[in-house]
Amino acid sequence: MSDKNLSYDELLQMVKVFESSTEFSEFHLKYGDVEVDLRKHGAPMGPVAQQKPVANDTPKVVFSQPPTPLKVLASTKNEAGTAISSSADELPPGACVVKSAMVGTFYRSPEPGAEPFVTVGQRVTADTTVCIIEVMKLMASTRAEYSGVVTHILVDDASPVEFGQMLMVIDPSA
Amino acid sequence: MKKIIRRILVANRGEIAVRVIRACQELGIETVQVYTEADANSLAVKLADYSVCIGHARSTESYLNAAFQVQAALMHKADAIHPGYGFLSENGAFAEMCEQNHLIFIGPSAKVIRNMGDKAMARKIAKEAGVPITPGSEGNVAGVEEAQAVADHIGYPVILKASAGGGGRGMRVVWKSNELPGAFRDATREAKGAFGDDAIYVEKYLTKIRHIEIQVLGDGLNVLHFGERDCSIQRRNQKLVEESPSPVLTDSVRKNLCEAALRLCKQVGYASAGTIEFIFDEASNQFYFMEMNTRIQVEHPVTEMVTGFDLVKSQIRIACGETLWIQQDEIHMNGHAIECRVNAEDPEKNFMPCPGLVTRFLAPGGPGVRVDSHLFSGYTVPPYYDSLVAKVICWGQTREEALARMRRALGELVIDGVKTTAGFHQRLLGHEQFQNGEFHTQYVQEVFLS
Repeated sequence: MSDKNLSYDELLQMVKVFESSTEFSEFHLKYGDVEVDLRKHGAPMGPVAQQKPVANDTPKVVFSQPPTPLKVLASTKNEAGTAISSSADELPPGACVVKSAMVGTFYRSPEPGAEPFVTVGQRVTADTTVCIIEVMKLMASTRAEYSGVVTHILVDDASPVEFGQMLMVIDPSA
Repeated sequence: MKKIIRRILVANRGEIAVRVIRACQELGIETVQVYTEADANSLAVKLADYSVCIGHARSTESYLNAAFQVQAALMHKADAIHPGYGFLSENGAFAEMCEQNHLIFIGPSAKVIRNMGDKAMARKIAKEAGVPITPGSEGNVAGVEEAQAVADHIGYPVILKASAGGGGRGMRVVWKSNELPGAFRDATREAKGAFGDDAIYVEKYLTKIRHIEIQVLGDGLNVLHFGERDCSIQRRNQKLVEESPSPVLTDSVRKNLCEAALRLCKQVGYASAGTIEFIFDEASNQFYFMEMNTRIQVEHPVTEMVTGFDLVKSQIRIACGETLWIQQDEIHMNGHAIECRVNAEDPEKNFMPCPGLVTRFLAPGGPGVRVDSHLFSGYTVPPYYDSLVAKVICWGQTREEALARMRRALGELVIDGVKTTAGFHQRLLGHEQFQNGEFHTQYVQEVFLS
């Protein structure tokens, strides 16, 4: 470890070790300006952790500096039978995930037969529409929210998705 | 006409979601549980066959969103939706959306929900059905003379209420006829100042009233009643303790109440479970229709314990198109049941909600003890929803036995990690007035808590 700042790679290593550990369900670290709080999905909070319940169980890493936010990937099992799980090992480090903002049907194109909004390898900006989520005949466009290159499209066209489900992966560094 | 229900979407959360799932499991029906991220670790999600995340945490963006429930049901090929209580359970638009999307809404029709949900309409329907309503003026009074005439007719004390009012303003209780003109002047002035509208109506002012409700089950043509529940133990209009039978009803009043309830249901062709709430004035032995709840209620286990019927399974069977499979004379009220609603609240801090991690949960057991709860050791009570964490229901051959069992059960109950009202219930049950059955809707606030 560097004696000044926690490096990005060191942090990612810690996340990987924690994720693959079966013994520990939470991890807390304060190192200089950086505070790291990792919790496994569904784990109860121990006495050290804050009493206020966390609504989102996804392990989160927040840097006070540098400013680039990192989304560590969580595994999400869709109980309808489609297991969609990715760990930090499978996807490139620094990858950003586009998640569904609603329960509904995922569409890749603006209408049936039209070209998809985006394809793997395509460069997008934060405002690029990447897909549509349809809820009860109402179509809601989903923005990329990140600039970069689309590296993965995780859901088939016209598939049901739930709130928070991972849809696409964008590599911001590409 | 029989319909097949193979899969039900549970559009609710907490203990009632668990209750519905249990009924479905007994009927061999698959369940789909909607949940928010705050409820991802809930017991209902663990028990259901399928689950689907519909939002972050806020109810308005999840459990209260009709489109999300219907979307989730269609996605998972559910045949029906059970709305539980609260949330969308009495939302006519939601019931209609289900109907339009060929989903069976487990409850009455959208039309019945709308009619009975409109308090003025419900009063009108009750009147047409020959059900007594709180005496009062027909709409607003034209002036002080009409107010006087109405008050003289219905008898004192009366309460003058601002039509546009709220927050207890623009209200005046009048105890004697000669006080009315002055009170009327004050009420109209206050109403005008507070709401810009000085319209006043008159109602009989009832003190020391009890809240008695009748459980019903209809199939659209016929209706049954399952006796009453006395829900007079309340705090700030929230029920704390319910029991059946009521300790104060005579057989003849009970008979009249139940018959009135049935008349009202027949008037609207009621289907599914429902509850008709009445105000009961002990002094005069009169009852008055208050409102109807067109859904399963929190306190339904009290009736289930006393009659032996499963009301939630009955709702589902009715939703399948079954006609009533029992006769009224097959329903008997046996023994006495009491329910205590245990909330994650601190009674020492004005019942402030106390969400947090439940480090240990142990439910009481033994004869005549039932616990409906979504708690388990290690569960975190989220801060976004209501504070009900467990219902403890005790049955006994007599009210005394039911009370003794409840004291034992509350003593065994362990909920560590969050403050609850279990101890408050213990003290309440030990209070002499409660034990004698001598209480009214203001008893907790005016007598017990002071």
